Amino acid sequence: MARERSWQDVIAITDLLKGDVTPVTFGSRELAIFDTIQGITVSMARCTHGAANLCDGYFDGVNIECPLHQGLFDARSGEALAAPARVKLRMIEARERNGMVQIYI
Amino acid sequence: MPAEVLTPVTQALNDGTLTRPELKGLMKRSNGPAFRHLAIWITVLLATGFLIKMTLGTLWVWPAMFLHGIILVHHFSLQHECCHYTVFKTRWLNDFVGNLCGLIIMLPNRHFRYEHCDHHTYTQLHGDDPELIEPPKDLAGYFWYLSSIPYWKNKFSELFHHVLGKLSEEEQRFIPKEEYKTVIWEARLMSAFYMTLIVVCVVFSWWAPVWYWWLPVLMGEPVMRFIRMTEHVGKPCVRDMKENTRTNYVTRPMQFLCWNMNYHAEHHYASSVPFYALPSLHEKLKNIVQVEERGYLGAHIDILSQLTGRKNRSDALENPSNGT
Ligand code: FES
Repeated sequence: MARERSWQDVIAITDLLKGDVTPVTFGSRELAIFDTIQGITVSMARCTHGAANLCDGYFDGVNIECPLHQGLFDARSGEALAAPARVKLRMIEARERNGMVQIYI
Repeated sequence: MPAEVLTPVTQALNDGTLTRPELKGLMKRSNGPAFRHLAIWITVLLATGFLIKMTLGTLWVWPAMFLHGIILVHHFSLQHECCHYTVFKTRWLNDFVGNLCGLIIMLPNRHFRYEHCDHHTYTQLHGDDPELIEPPKDLAGYFWYLSSIPYWKNKFSELFHHVLGKLSEEEQRFIPKEEYKTVIWEARLMSAFYMTLIVVCVVFSWWAPVWYWWLPVLMGEPVMRFIRMTEHVGKPCVRDMKENTRTNYVTRPMQFLCWNMNYHAEHHYASSVPFYALPSLHEKLKNIVQVEERGYLGAHIDILSQLTGRKNRSDALENPSNGT
């Protein structure tokens, strides 16, 4: 039977890299926590093009650029914005509660 | 399996060669350094162009064109940086300048971008790296490559095939299906531009593009071939970035012309680091990457030693080619 989804703590807000992307391992999942200009968002950390870790890329507060081929994604929606990236990032619903970043998973 | 994909930069972070704050600091973008660099670049281009003007009609025009050509072929270095979006902070400026450079040296930008992506994924891996320059079999192969004849043969044939709407099997591997049309149309547009210009030259007996552009590019290309060989040729065809790429210490003018791409191993380690931060990245990585202190010449001494049997060939276990 599938486990019920629920909100889970992933990292304390104070531990986030300010205005940047923070890598977090949650169970077996590698996550990217983005401190965007519109709040915190969370996605799977691997690039949908060649699976490079996006947390090691350049982030300007809105878009994350892949460190391997410089493909571009909108870190708020996960939309692929520039080649060679074409497939949207898998975003995970996130919120801030009691000083923690939580994801709904 | 994603977990198996470990880019060099992630590797460097994991093994502590580079800390995350250091990397993030190095990746910061700015338009200023590129604009300053370009201002000098354009001045140098105008100066060497002026040299041609002053020497037209004399034998001195040939060295003047060669000098101008050396600058022109280095638009490859600028285009290369643009295709990594590491020249300008403003992303579209990289696309714009990259396309302009591609027009100058007949290297369609979109095609190069996709080819270069695979070069970074599969650096020095036979059959996978589309930019791999085979180590020449012997001295004849070495000079044949440097002549640039095989290079131009390949580029003209590529362009011609793309104009006809054909992509090779290798190209179909590194260009996604959705982009075939873009690559074909950029080749058509580029060819149409050249053809129009040739017609204008003939109709108006106006030969400036020949003297200030095309002949200099042809004359300068062997210099670019010479430089391109120093990046990976003679290094083992293995995945390890600490082994397969050379960083070359070169003179300030050459470093200026190649937009710091002499720090090639550093660039492969972290290709999102802007060109002006590569010297700082070098300080962090210089003890783990292959550094050729004698520069381009030293790299060629290394390559020639391997070709002439004074040193073991890096591809000893593989089949050397004739350099084409
Ligand atoms: S791996 Fe991210 S753009 Fe290719």
